[in-house]
Formats: sequence, structure tokens, C-alpha cells
Amino acid sequence: MGISTVMPGDFENRVRVRLYELFLELGRCPSKAEVAATFGCGVADVADAFDELAAAHILVLQPGSGEVLMANPLSAVPTPFVVETKGVSDSRSWYGNCIWDALGVIAMLQSDGRVLASCGCCGESMTVQVRKGEVTSQPPGVVHFALPARHWWDDIVFN
Amino acid sequence: MLLFRSEDHIDRWCAAWRLPRGGTLSVEQAWKLADAWYRDRFSPDWRRRTVDEAHELFRSLGMTSDFWRLA
Repeated sequence: MGISTVMPGDFENRVRVRLYELFLELGRCPSKAEVAATFGCGVADVADAFDELAAAHILVLQPGSGEVLMANPLSAVPTPFVVETKGVSDSRSWYGNCIWDALGVIAMLQSDGRVLASCGCCGESMTVQVRKGEVTSQPPGVVHFALPARHWWDDIVFN
Repeated sequence: MLLFRSEDHIDRWCAAWRLPRGGTLSVEQAWKLADAWYRDRFSPDWRRRTVDEAHELFRSLGMTSDFWRLA
């Protein structure tokens, strides 16, 4: 299971954009109800849009509630990849789904920032810093993808 | 996708989880991949890459083995 061929429609795309806008504004993932309130539509309409976006591999939903688990690169729940980004006047913290996504948060916000992580093997603290588009890791590190690309979406939470 | 201190640590992790060795990227490659993949993600004009476009990006970053093929 590689890249999905499902194409979201116009409403689903507007829901996607609003979800990210609210995520960045609130500093946390909004609920279906919070997204629906900004459109003045029913929660079920947003739930349907979330389902379409999940089928298109644009969101990952929590299995029970249907709320967002991943709005890649952002995680709605705490993970071992803490991202700190610098705003105009403040610093903000986020969670990335993995090291790729954690760096993606910094890229998406077009900001300097750092990822506070740890070695997947021994747990030693590691910090990956991005400053003016240049990346450094302290201590030096290597990124490992356990699954071949064609299987990334077979179990995206493990991946 | 996890971060490790070194290739040796990846080998130890794979052995512990009884998983075959996967694909590795330098931190710089991972940053360039993340930057290209996510920079415009919350733009209204964002659209998902096609498989060919993704492969072209991977190729430009040196991710050329079969491991990195999406389909």
C-alpha cells in the first residue's frame, strides 16, 4: 500500500486547510466539533470529510473516536519527537509522528527550530537543530526507515 | 522512522526487534526530504505528489534503491 489514489473534493480540501489553521492557532489538534463550528456545518459533515481525507492518506484518524491522530507532519497526541519552533515573539512546542515528520513541522512552519528526540536503540538524548535551513544533530545521528516505501501505509502508526 | 546515534545502534535495534535492516538516511538527507515533502502542506493549493513525482524527489536525494519505491 503506497500512495493513495483517492482524491479529496473541494469541501474536504477546505476542511483540511481549516484543520491545519486551527491546529497552529490553538497549539493543539482541534476536534471535529471545533472544525464544524467554524464552517457552521454539522459534525457529521466534518466526520465524513475526515474519513475521505484518511482514505486519501492525508490524515490518520483515531480508531475509536474518529478524531484526528495525525495531520502529518503534526501529531495530535504526545510522541517521543518534541518539536520546538521559533515564532516572531515566542517559542512553540509540537509533536511530530516520527523524525521525518518532526523535521517536517519545522519545514512547514518555515521557522528555525529543533527536535528533541532520543536514540531509538539506547535512549540517549539527541537534539536535531535547524537554523537558517541548515541542520545539525547533537550527538551525530542516522535516520532509519524500518519499512520499505511501498509498505509505509500498511501500518502507519508503527511506521 | 527513528533517529539513532549510529549504524551500530540501528543494527542492534533491528536485532532486538527481529527486523531486517531497512533504509537509512543522513540527518541532512532527512531534513531535505522533510523540507520538500512538508513545506507547503497547509497551503490551500497543496496537492499530493504523484508516485512519479515522489520518486523524482527521492532520486534527487539519492534514495534510488528498490527500498524507496512506492509502487
